[in-house]
Amino acid sequence: MVRQIIKIFLLLICSNCSAQQYIGNNGRVSFFSEAPMEDISAVNKRVSAVFDATSNDLVFQLRISDFVFPKSLMQEHFNENYLESDIYPSAIFIGRLVNIRNSKATVQGDLTIHGKTNKIKVDGVMKQDEQRVNIEAEFMVKLEDYDIKIPRVVMYKIAESVDIEVNIELEVIK
Amino acid sequence: MRRFILIVALLTSSFANAQDNLLGMLAVSDEPNYIGYLFKGTKIVNAQSVELPAQGVLQFNIQHRFGTLNSGIYNLYGLDFSQVRLSFDYGIEDWLAVSIGRSSSLKVIDANSKIRLKRQVKEGFPVTIVLNSAAYLKQWQDNQVQEYFVFANQLSYTHQILLARKINRDLTLQLSPTIVHYNLVEMQKESHDRYSLGIGGRQKLTQRISLNAEYFYQLNERRNNNILSLGFDIETGGHVFQLHLSNSPAMIDSEFITQTTGEWLKGDIYFGFNISRVFTIY
Repeated sequence: MVRQIIKIFLLLICSNCSAQQYIGNNGRVSFFSEAPMEDISAVNKRVSAVFDATSNDLVFQLRISDFVFPKSLMQEHFNENYLESDIYPSAIFIGRLVNIRNSKATVQGDLTIHGKTNKIKVDGVMKQDEQRVNIEAEFMVKLEDYDIKIPRVVMYKIAESVDIEVNIELEVIK
Repeated sequence: MRRFILIVALLTSSFANAQDNLLGMLAVSDEPNYIGYLFKGTKIVNAQSVELPAQGVLQFNIQHRFGTLNSGIYNLYGLDFSQVRLSFDYGIEDWLAVSIGRSSSLKVIDANSKIRLKRQVKEGFPVTIVLNSAAYLKQWQDNQVQEYFVFANQLSYTHQILLARKINRDLTLQLSPTIVHYNLVEMQKESHDRYSLGIGGRQKLTQRISLNAEYFYQLNERRNNNILSLGFDIETGGHVFQLHLSNSPAMIDSEFITQTTGEWLKGDIYFGFNISRVFTIY
């Protein structure tokens, strides 16, 4: 009995030590929103993510204040009025790779922005080898789902949903 | 067997936490968490705030000051008198800005520079510190120049250390120790250097409207009144409107700090507004 337990234990420890984990800190997340008056876009080049190839767990994290806008006033409004980055400093995705075939991947999980969490499912491209993992994806986010309120006065300026692009390269942890 | 189940249960429970562990692996950015947006505008009311125009941003300001509210209906409570200051502010770097402006009634050209030395950090450095320096040139006409005319006499200066702290997301307070220097004074015994201490602040009322106030206390050579100004900042997308009441109609620091003649209690209150519009140059 004791021997069996030790065997299982060793097996589990061993599976842990061979677990392939990939990490990256210089990913890109950009968003774009087309509106009649003014297109709104921003890019964050300091996105970090980690992927566990054994469990297929995938986690993304970024700082809201790292988004850079072409106009500083937009950036101020984004942080101060809409995303309230002083209260909700980061956005997090915690999920899992649920399907992958010929690099076409589907990821499912919880996306937290502005303190609100929603379940999302995103299709993208994921290329994996021994050394690195490349992830590219594009999806839509509805502002309403994350309680991001746009005052009616400027409603004509800002679309109700934005297009988000993700691009990150992860390297294996040795 | 029971022990075996226990171990399996223990291990699976550790798997449930795996995703949180992954999150823990992600490096928390080592850049300090700077507190920004202490004021809506680069001025509290009349005086400089610790805000600078962002790098590459050109800000055009139109400032208007009307006559006193107690000047009667014949002058439409001061609206018949108007003076204006036009100015451009430009952010060279994130921490360095320059501006140039001109006031109509006093015929003064001013040049100003602002250097941000320190930024308030969340759970770190307590205040944002900005150095502000301005030089003023009073214009003259050639046909009125007297024999003892000296160019340097047309100049005066203001130097300030601005210390501001965002107390919470709505309230910001600022201290502004100030020196005003006049190259030329009216009387020989007068001091060329005037020391004063400014206090100011803003309280956000809504996301887009804030109530601002400022007061300068003159520490030496006090020949006039201290200035007290109250105003509202109203933000509408690309513009900031500042509407305010003050006991001075001047728009340059040296003037309103040391040469304010109006008295609030007597109704010598000047209505004025600032409009600023920003242009992103690059």
